[in-house]
Amino acid sequence: MIVSFPNMGPNWVAFKTFFETMGAEVIVPEPTNRNTIKFGVKHSPEFVCFPFKATIGDFKNALERGADTLVMAIDCGPCRFGFYASVQERILRDLGYKDFRLIPLDQADLLEFKWVKVLFDVSPSKSVSMYSKALKAVIMLLKKAKLLEDIQTAEGLFRAYERTQGDTTHVVNDLLQQLDQTNSLSGLRKFRPIIKNTFANMDIDRTRNPLRVGISGEIHISLEPYVNIDLRKKLGEMGVEIHQSISLYDWVMHKLHVNFHRKWYEHLAKPYVPIDIGGECRWVLGEYIDKANAGFDGFVHEYPFTCMPEVVARTIITNKLKKMYDMPIIYFSFDEQSGVEGMRTRLEAFVDLMHSRRNQDVKTNKVKLVNNQKQYGHYGNNFCHECIELIQPK
Amino acid sequence: MEVSGGAPKSKVKVGIPRALHFYRYFPFWKKLLEELGAEIVLSTPTSKKIVEEGVQMGFGELCIPMKVFYGHVLHLIENHPDLDYLFVPRYVAEDKDAYFCPKFLSLPDVIRILPNVPKMLNFEVNVKEFPISQSVIELGKQLGVGQSRALESYKTAKEYFKEYQDFLRKGVPVNHALRLVQRDLPFTVPKKKSKGDIKFLLLGHGYNVCDTYINLDFQKKLRDQGIEVITIENLPESLFKVPVIVNKRLRNYWRHEEEIMQAIRYYLTKGRDEIDGVIFLISFACGPDSLISELIMRDMKVVGIPFLDIIMDEHSGEAGLLTRIESFTEMIRRKKRKLEMDAKKKVKSKIKSEV
Repeated sequence: MIVSFPNMGPNWVAFKTFFETMGAEVIVPEPTNRNTIKFGVKHSPEFVCFPFKATIGDFKNALERGADTLVMAIDCGPCRFGFYASVQERILRDLGYKDFRLIPLDQADLLEFKWVKVLFDVSPSKSVSMYSKALKAVIMLLKKAKLLEDIQTAEGLFRAYERTQGDTTHVVNDLLQQLDQTNSLSGLRKFRPIIKNTFANMDIDRTRNPLRVGISGEIHISLEPYVNIDLRKKLGEMGVEIHQSISLYDWVMHKLHVNFHRKWYEHLAKPYVPIDIGGECRWVLGEYIDKANAGFDGFVHEYPFTCMPEVVARTIITNKLKKMYDMPIIYFSFDEQSGVEGMRTRLEAFVDLMHSRRNQDVKTNKVKLVNNQKQYGHYGNNFCHECIELIQPK
Repeated sequence: MEVSGGAPKSKVKVGIPRALHFYRYFPFWKKLLEELGAEIVLSTPTSKKIVEEGVQMGFGELCIPMKVFYGHVLHLIENHPDLDYLFVPRYVAEDKDAYFCPKFLSLPDVIRILPNVPKMLNFEVNVKEFPISQSVIELGKQLGVGQSRALESYKTAKEYFKEYQDFLRKGVPVNHALRLVQRDLPFTVPKKKSKGDIKFLLLGHGYNVCDTYINLDFQKKLRDQGIEVITIENLPESLFKVPVIVNKRLRNYWRHEEEIMQAIRYYLTKGRDEIDGVIFLISFACGPDSLISELIMRDMKVVGIPFLDIIMDEHSGEAGLLTRIESFTEMIRRKKRKLEMDAKKKVKSKIKSEV
């Protein structure tokens, strides 16, 4: 049995351990590329949302490289995501890929423990030992996902301070390789200091006081760099500090009902959207309000073209929240037509706008350094605050 | 009803936009609100001005029915400043395990933030959490009506809606029935004009199939070609009892799409010879339909029923649409003629061989 799964940015590291711990052979999906998207666009329904097209391309790549078991998350919420697995299976079978099994991983509510069956399904040996293996697999997944989130947090912060452009990207790639090779619990326990030290040893300019931007949006688009044309890197290279709270770990914790910062966002968004309507609608609204209160300079909302819940979020932000909180926001809706240059122009204009607002604020003394230290409010996780210590001027 | 003493109170005016769920639940709403003592103000049928205003208010990626809904709301605000309430219900789930599209789930939220919107009546249908009767009681409270009367009016409205649905199942076009409801006329089946020679099943959401402005009077165009049209509402209730299985592990969770799939399931299996073709009207950027139409198209290919999906937006051109319908019907007629000829030939050769 050879297992594969779709791409979602660097999260292949976590998924790989998840299935390998169960004893299954894993094919890591090829990084999403032009051919993947081309295949997806050709064989998908015309105006389905973009992650559908990207992930079906990943499945085709995996099948051609010899995978026979595909794992795809499903949901039974109101948005289109729940249909992905079934329709993709149908399309692939019609195209002549007969010899595979698509295992849906039910993530509607992880406390219903339907996903345990998936682990048992991919386990080659059906014996009592697979229970302990499953437990280990889950722990490994959670730990690695948490570390991936930490890397992402540090990446967003440090890229705005690097002296040589590209340093952060190298560091991140090295760390991902290292994390992929660390497959013991004791190793993972020691990994967080490694991340911190690697970033601390980078050559950075601590005197800068860059713009702060929050990024949120649909999870696949936000995490997969090919699909969002590496938006985080582009913004970072323009000298912008990035705070993105969306990650695999964040999502899994939410589905296990222990993600309290999401609950806080829900609370903030309650007057505008009182129920969960799928996607990340509520949390995008909550995060917008939260970041605006924390004095951010701007916000980026990214989502697939015609995504139903995100479109609602966008409508509410444009019609209501933007007027109330007065924080600049830029929307990116991605599909296969997105071009690099157009996006760069829009980003540059956005950054210029935020700069001029910042200058205005400096003139009127709204923004100032206290004791020569940059002021950060109470947001972000612990690791974020540890990183902030590292970038304060000495 | 008698008003005890004093001058009769003027009725509360409630505005209902003629869009989206209007085409599905209007008889129910009308009966319910009237029983609760409200007067209903409807927006006019969709017109160019309404669409233009709606398009300005909603941005590009919204589907056209949503933009039209915006347009109707703005029309109501503009032309009826004396409205006491606006009725924009929140339909979350009508079934224990089925949702509506996310845009319906958040409909009151996006309308509430428009400028100059009158107070909105809060009416939430969410069977997963609480029964409809509870939301009716809530609705009654907002209109100043007690619990028992609210429940009574809910019962009447439900009966009336059932009657309406039964009436539709006799093959009456939805628009005709809605007209009767609006004018409080009794349900009488209209005289049938001459039957067409071919029969189409017209799939799609009520607001796409019945709004004659967005779909450029699609049904009439078909009838002009001598085609008999049936819509989902005309099909017998028995088709909609058993859920569709798309895939063993997937339970279809959209209410409207479930109905479309159930209707099509019948024609894919038992009712194969009852229709000559299927047309699916989709509005651009409709999320659920984009996936459902793919599944239906693939099923149709297997069975061999001609299938046409028409995607509409605010820029639809009339001439292009007409050409597509004409070529589609022409194709089906030719196919039918050929089949008949083949059948005749067979009969002839049979006779010959017998001789």
